[in-house]
Amino acid sequence: MALQNVGIDKISRRDFMRKGLIFGAGARGLAAGYAAVPDVFAKAVYSAKGAGVQNDRVLVMIQLGGGNDGLQTVIPISDGKYRDLRPTLGKEADAALRLDKDYGLHQSLKGLKSLYDQGKVAIVQGVGYPTPSFSHFDSIRVWETGDPTRRQQNGWLGKAIEKNYDSAGHPLVGCATGTTSVPGALRDLQATLTVINDQASFKFQGNSDNVDKVMGTLYTGTPGIYGALFDTAMSTVRDTVAQLKTSAKNYVPKASYSDNQKLVFSSKNQLAAALQLASELIVTGTGVKVLHVTLGGFDTHYTELNRHSDLMAYLDAAVSAFHQDLTAYGMADRVLIATWSEFGRRPQENASGGTDHGTAAPVMLIGDPVKGGLYGEGASVSKLDKSQNLAFTVDFRSVYQEILSSHLGVDGPDVLGASFDRIPFMRAAAG
Amino acid sequence: MDEQVATPTLPGEPATPQPAKKPARSGRVSRRAVVLGAGAAAGGLAVARVLGLHKIGPDPLALVKGTSAPIVNTKDWMSPLGQPEAQVAQLLRRATFGMTKAQYDAAVADGFKKTVDKLVETPAAMPKELPGGETATQEKPINASAMQTWWIDHMLASSTPFAERMTFFWHGHFTSDFRKVSTQSPYIYWQNLTWRKYALGSFRDMLYQVTTDPAMLRYLDLGQSTGRSPNENYSRELMELFTMGVGTFTEDDVRAGAKALAGWREPVTQYMVDYQIARAQMQGRPAPKNLVADTVKSGIFDPNRAFKGSVAFLGVTKQWDTNMVLDRIMQQDSVAPYITRKVLREFVMPDPPDDYVNRIAAGWKKSGYDLKTLMRDVFMSPEFMSPGAYRTLVKSPTEMMVHTARALEQPQLSRAIAQSGSGMGQALYDPPEVGGWPSNASWVSSNNVLTRVNFVVSTLGGMQKLPPYGSAHQVHLDGIVSEQTAQLLNSATDDPTRWLILLASPEFQLK
Repeated sequence: MALQNVGIDKISRRDFMRKGLIFGAGARGLAAGYAAVPDVFAKAVYSAKGAGVQNDRVLVMIQLGGGNDGLQTVIPISDGKYRDLRPTLGKEADAALRLDKDYGLHQSLKGLKSLYDQGKVAIVQGVGYPTPSFSHFDSIRVWETGDPTRRQQNGWLGKAIEKNYDSAGHPLVGCATGTTSVPGALRDLQATLTVINDQASFKFQGNSDNVDKVMGTLYTGTPGIYGALFDTAMSTVRDTVAQLKTSAKNYVPKASYSDNQKLVFSSKNQLAAALQLASELIVTGTGVKVLHVTLGGFDTHYTELNRHSDLMAYLDAAVSAFHQDLTAYGMADRVLIATWSEFGRRPQENASGGTDHGTAAPVMLIGDPVKGGLYGEGASVSKLDKSQNLAFTVDFRSVYQEILSSHLGVDGPDVLGASFDRIPFMRAAAG
Repeated sequence: MDEQVATPTLPGEPATPQPAKKPARSGRVSRRAVVLGAGAAAGGLAVARVLGLHKIGPDPLALVKGTSAPIVNTKDWMSPLGQPEAQVAQLLRRATFGMTKAQYDAAVADGFKKTVDKLVETPAAMPKELPGGETATQEKPINASAMQTWWIDHMLASSTPFAERMTFFWHGHFTSDFRKVSTQSPYIYWQNLTWRKYALGSFRDMLYQVTTDPAMLRYLDLGQSTGRSPNENYSRELMELFTMGVGTFTEDDVRAGAKALAGWREPVTQYMVDYQIARAQMQGRPAPKNLVADTVKSGIFDPNRAFKGSVAFLGVTKQWDTNMVLDRIMQQDSVAPYITRKVLREFVMPDPPDDYVNRIAAGWKKSGYDLKTLMRDVFMSPEFMSPGAYRTLVKSPTEMMVHTARALEQPQLSRAIAQSGSGMGQALYDPPEVGGWPSNASWVSSNNVLTRVNFVVSTLGGMQKLPPYGSAHQVHLDGIVSEQTAQLLNSATDDPTRWLILLASPEFQLK
């Protein structure tokens, strides 16, 4: 049977990925023999991954898309230079929710402040990477792949899943909710991933059981460079549809998720709905380990004050409800919520009352397994680099490594390809 | 394993004519059988149940039925591009939004070369006016959903489908979204008209229109940028996304470009002025002074807002204006290959080799960046016909849905198409990011495969009358289908089921 050939299949699949057909970059090509991509690739997806990691930890990554302004999120309240650089935005310092004598959370982050006071929020400051890119796409890719040299193509979470979890028959190990495509951080063709934009419509129309079966047949042994991708996507659909039928019956939200999607100017956000679905998948025992959700709209070149405040309020409401829900279900001790954004923003406010692309920014880690407090060295607006940006003090892969090793209980350096300084923001390592 | 691998054929090699027959496989156990055991019934029975059929008929599809010829155990789609019909069909799938049977027949009769001529040389037919477009104000904003339907209507009806396809391409390249631009002005509607008007002219001319387009002034903040405090957003994306590509300029160039480009403001229409005056009256305020409508539908340059003084931009220090900035950009060697590569990825293959890119780029540059020349060269290049290009591109949701409506000859589907886009990741005028739409493999997620199938199921379920299936697999899939698709088609006993198999198949998602 083909399963004997799994090793070879995996190598070929990787070669295929290196040719850049997924990210569309860097390869010479089709000429070099794409036609040799075997249609048995899909089998590798279902191959056993050795001993899967056996713990009940769950990770929820929240992407703050567009470049969240770290200086308006964790505000350096005692720094006069901050107010000088930001004539409009700087007034948030007065209203900030004080963390210590030097830093305060944005006033809209009331729920997170309350969790911080309970020791459930760790903030790592000054997080970035060397020779930062000011391009959204470039920098997103760096954060998604965990590789500032831009050589890797697989996402760091996709790799973690591929290396550590047996996703055979468990398409929900890695899951993105509230979006239509696989986020780059989860991408790895070896890992089965599911994407659920809207739970209510995630089922087959028509005579659904039969459409389901016919599609199962139709998407089998599909030739061509996308064949395995299509076939895997369809089998994942069918497994996910079946899973959601069960989980929907066993879940009632125990918190009030804001469904206000129009709150945030210039973005299509359904963070609250995405987190509610995440909660359902977690509390109904679907086997989900890694979830990814996105809140967009942070590219605040223009009239940032109100827009950023709205975004903070929406983030705060959604995350607070999510945590409350998990707590009510007795699951909060398993779940780590972490934020990420491609970059922070320029300390100097621009003429449009906004800020341009910047560099380092804080990362927030939220949840009961967290050892709360401030970590790292706050980036100083008094010591800007030659591009007038903040110098990073913590490599973002240090944060990833702690998430992987101490929360998920997998081999962080193995996933990241190197070892980084530890930042001990987790209460106890996963057993 | 007894699997053989089809011999790879290099792009550029003359395509060998191949018989139009299914890639078939001997009876080894399928992956599905391995994974799900008995989860999937044999094709015939399953299909019969989908739409309530009870009888599995005889093979109705001569061209895709099991063949007595030697079984080819192929790993890739067998390219039919040696055949004139398949060449024309691939052109229509890629250069337009797919075709009806009649459009296919007409193009096949014309032949490939003449079809390229017609597509490329015919100036874009303009759509009829969008109701409520010109008159949009804060009080009467454009209905975004109506505007999406309006465009799909034109995609379906336009007599110049290639110009429309290019308008769609530029919509993804010079992107803006209606959320940030807002619907309380005609800007986003104007942008659609402008992109169509310039879609096949000079790229340099288009770039000026893009830079001064009111929706773009809003979307990338150039309309807010002043010489005293420049906003970098447009300057960066102009170079990174619109012309040169990442890594071809410095951060200093971004800052200098922001200064050099500053000074534009958005135009105001008479409707917008009238609304401001009416609102002031209603609130008992005096009418705003100096509020005069502009007569143009593009940005207004205000020298008082511009930067005065010289800056070093892309290696040249001088006092700049917008045209000089664009000219300087067009002098960069990076522009032609960057745009050419993007075009080849959209129309030919996902990863075009450098020598191919450079060859087409050189011709384009020599033409003075004429977009018709570029597109003609792309379609006439041997690579376009090479087996290495066959079924290597995934249709975007819009392409897939509009092709469906064409195949089924159902122009009234425009509204359903407009509404279904967002669930598949493509709501028109609302791309996920400034980089535009995803492509190819990024369209293939569990969510998107499901929503595509559901679109087909609900479309067919809602139709009173279907065109005869005939040999639709020949028209729309070149007669090249997988073993499973062939099996399902062969065992289907009525046209709705055949259309379902065809439109929901992986084959139909490719172009």
